[in-house]
Amino acid sequence: MNEFKTGGVAVPVIEKDEAKVDHKIVGKPIPIVDGKEKVTGQAQFVNDIKLPGMLIAKILRSPYPHARVINIDTTLAENLPGVKAVITRDDTRGEKYIAMGPPLSDRYPLVMEKAKYIGDEIAAVAAVNESIAEEALRLIKVNYEVLPAVYEPEEAVKEDAPVIHEDRDSNIAMRIARSYGDPDSAFQAADYVFSDTYVTQVVSHAILEPKGTVAHYFNGKVTIWTSTQAPYFVRKEVAHILGMPEGDVRVKEIFSAGAFGARSKVCDDEAICALLSRKALRPVKLVLTREEEFKTTRVRHPYHIDIRTGVSREGRLLAREVKMVVDNGAYNYLGPAVLGYSTFVAASHYKVENIKIDASLVYTNKQAGTAFRGFGSPQVTFAIESQMDDIADQLGFDRLAFRLLNAHESGFVTPAGWKITSCGMKECLQKAYDGVKDLPLDSGSKVKKRGIGLASSIHISGVKLFKEGDYSGAIVRVAGDGTVTVFTGAADVGTGSKTTLVQVAAEALGVSVQKVSITTMDTDQTPQDIGSWASRIMFVGGNAVLRAAKLAREQIIKTAGAALNVDPEDLDIDQGVVFARSNRAKAMPIGDAVKLCNTRIGDWVMGSYHYDTPAEMINRQSGVANISPTYSYGAHGALVEVDEETGMVEVLRIVAAHDVGKAINPMIVEGQVLGALAQGIGYALTEQMLYKDGKLLNGNFLDYKILTTADMPQMEVSIVETMDEEGPFGAKGIGEPGLIPTAAAIANAIKDATGVRFKEIPILPEHIVEALSPEDI
Amino acid sequence: MLINFKLNGDAVRVDVAGHVTLLELLREEFELLGAKEGCGYGECGSCTVLVDGQAVNSCLMLAAGVNGKEVETIEGLGGPQGELDPLQQAFLQHGAVQCGFCTPGMIMSARALLKENPYPTEEEIRRAWRVTCAAVPAMPKLSRPLRPSAIFRGRKSK
Ligand code: FES
Repeated sequence: MNEFKTGGVAVPVIEKDEAKVDHKIVGKPIPIVDGKEKVTGQAQFVNDIKLPGMLIAKILRSPYPHARVINIDTTLAENLPGVKAVITRDDTRGEKYIAMGPPLSDRYPLVMEKAKYIGDEIAAVAAVNESIAEEALRLIKVNYEVLPAVYEPEEAVKEDAPVIHEDRDSNIAMRIARSYGDPDSAFQAADYVFSDTYVTQVVSHAILEPKGTVAHYFNGKVTIWTSTQAPYFVRKEVAHILGMPEGDVRVKEIFSAGAFGARSKVCDDEAICALLSRKALRPVKLVLTREEEFKTTRVRHPYHIDIRTGVSREGRLLAREVKMVVDNGAYNYLGPAVLGYSTFVAASHYKVENIKIDASLVYTNKQAGTAFRGFGSPQVTFAIESQMDDIADQLGFDRLAFRLLNAHESGFVTPAGWKITSCGMKECLQKAYDGVKDLPLDSGSKVKKRGIGLASSIHISGVKLFKEGDYSGAIVRVAGDGTVTVFTGAADVGTGSKTTLVQVAAEALGVSVQKVSITTMDTDQTPQDIGSWASRIMFVGGNAVLRAAKLAREQIIKTAGAALNVDPEDLDIDQGVVFARSNRAKAMPIGDAVKLCNTRIGDWVMGSYHYDTPAEMINRQSGVANISPTYSYGAHGALVEVDEETGMVEVLRIVAAHDVGKAINPMIVEGQVLGALAQGIGYALTEQMLYKDGKLLNGNFLDYKILTTADMPQMEVSIVETMDEEGPFGAKGIGEPGLIPTAAAIANAIKDATGVRFKEIPILPEHIVEALSPEDI
Repeated sequence: MLINFKLNGDAVRVDVAGHVTLLELLREEFELLGAKEGCGYGECGSCTVLVDGQAVNSCLMLAAGVNGKEVETIEGLGGPQGELDPLQQAFLQHGAVQCGFCTPGMIMSARALLKENPYPTEEEIRRAWRVTCAAVPAMPKLSRPLRPSAIFRGRKSK
């Protein structure tokens, strides 16, 4: 009998609802506003677009991990009937993508001199149909000079290793070495010092919708539909690659699948598709195959982490030293930012004043890493939180109490300069622990051992990574018929941000959700927003929408006050009716007030706002800056059952407590955490991309093991509300945090069950069997 | 070859080449775009439709194979005025929809399960979805709309 095997999820528990009865829409679990399109199959994704005369594109990729491209002959392909355009490096301007800016930019739209991993884009074809495009690829003759390749950072940093980017001295893409406080003295003063090594694997975002773009070049301008988290970055990069003004590139609204960071900047297909369309003068569709999606899109960076921690007799963390070697793959994408963020987390998780960091990002001839839910934090958190348990166990401390003793509080400033404002860290830890502490540890079987584990996380809500700021723009328009439209540049890639932003606008204006519609990610129509990544839309986009809505509201209230002969201070709006609180008979529909406004434009009253967070720009030198306007906390408690004979681990229950400031929509918060948990469990136990000589061996859903419903444990999301002062209605971000502590919580539970510490993920059955029966080896 | 079948209740007749899959036929010939291609080789389930009431991966099935059969897609669900089917409603109400890419496949798969087994246990629901859920972040929530207590309150008996 096992009472936890039934799976499923419990309804989210909101523990601390500040009893803000004045909120009518915020805080309610309303269904997503674009749900009807989705459940009826009407939601159009990139691959559903069909334009008159549209061509189908295919990419020719390097079969070699490292090879010089001597020449490319496209004559036969161009002559194949039905082929309308073939492009190679000769069709580009020879410019790199801007990416993170020079000197970090390192990637061209099509290979210039050298292919640097298996799958690098060499040429592309647009033809009247897919089979002709495929045949054309086979007709392109490429002359390669195959070069020696390197696949592991250890080889890549050797003196005699082939240098992958020849304009650099070595394969080290970035190195960060810095100290905070005085780690050397602190280590000397410590009563105990613990040293451990942790290793994390390469994992795939495994996005269900293959990456794709439709580009239509016409009359000097190009229109793009693409699955992206960052339409404005796509616009900027495509304009740059094509040598056009940004204003001549329009990225239009389209439904996009959850992308988890993989599409948080420009990818590879957008500019290639636009180049093809410009050459063919016809619309072009380029959609990757599942195989390409696995083999050539970005991954999560694998880390090798050495962590040393100094602890006092009382259990205070005094010093931490973290050495990280990170496999960047062939290109930077966001690697340098991921590495940098890992160092900030290493200098911020728990209270540790003295920190020493030495982190390097190393190029190899493999698929490149980029942002992936948690952005370099899951790796570091796995190391920190695994070691926390071992320290507690060895020193005889209670694992929860040890964490609480070193946990953050409001007012704390981390060595990396993170200023902690709203802080639910202790509450999350307590709730996660309480959720699993009394669960039965007796499995009823001798070979099945149960254990519980705990781990916590800290994460940003937006980040100041670019000098332009961490901003969202919003326009909120109230029409004479009382309907409201929100315009925002932020793409909703399934996170529910359209819905939460509508809730914010509806609450601020006193209208029902049904009266509000939202237009997103159209670079010609919606105000700029830097993208749906860094768990930033709820906080940054939400603040922009809230402030824009308030500006519209002010105009309406002022006008209604004059029309009703009431002090505007006395007016409120509810259900679309402006009314006097002191005399409800004095009232008028919001639309009527709009029509009277002298600030109206036609039939609209508008508020617009550019919200840039009060955070500080990342300081690459000092590593000290308050890079986010606030920080979200989370903690997970896990109960696992380990079969000591087969090595199978079953996660029976996970309780995930998250400080989200204020849950604008608890159902959406829950969905974000549950999805992240699924990925986190896969990260801990099943997912791993396997390579041989730079070639991916398991690039399909059969061999690459993501979790399915049948594998899901019972999960409970516990929402902790701390009402952030700067957040819209108190909210903070929750897109990523649900993944971050999951692997550590599971590894800790496995240790609790078996007594064995696994320092490498994924923790596979064979590792467990091997560790538990050394005499049989 | 010329084939005849029922598509969402309507009798249709169409000429298909031997290599055309059911997914291609639905998307290209009939412009029914709800079924998606997530993998193209039978491992993700985003292309799920019903053939004679059974859930199939339409990316694997040849179009010719539906000759004389009944095919039902997500577009066939719901009332004549665009009312949602109780199953669609349940998915929405319980927050089981996130990005929506595989939602049509999920719903059709659920429909097949309920046709065969109107009162599934949670374990049966989870097993039925084993093949269909791949990367869906919301998948644990998906069993909720199918819990009998949740769904059958609003469900017409058939
Ligand atoms: S597209 Fe048919 S199963 Fe994936």
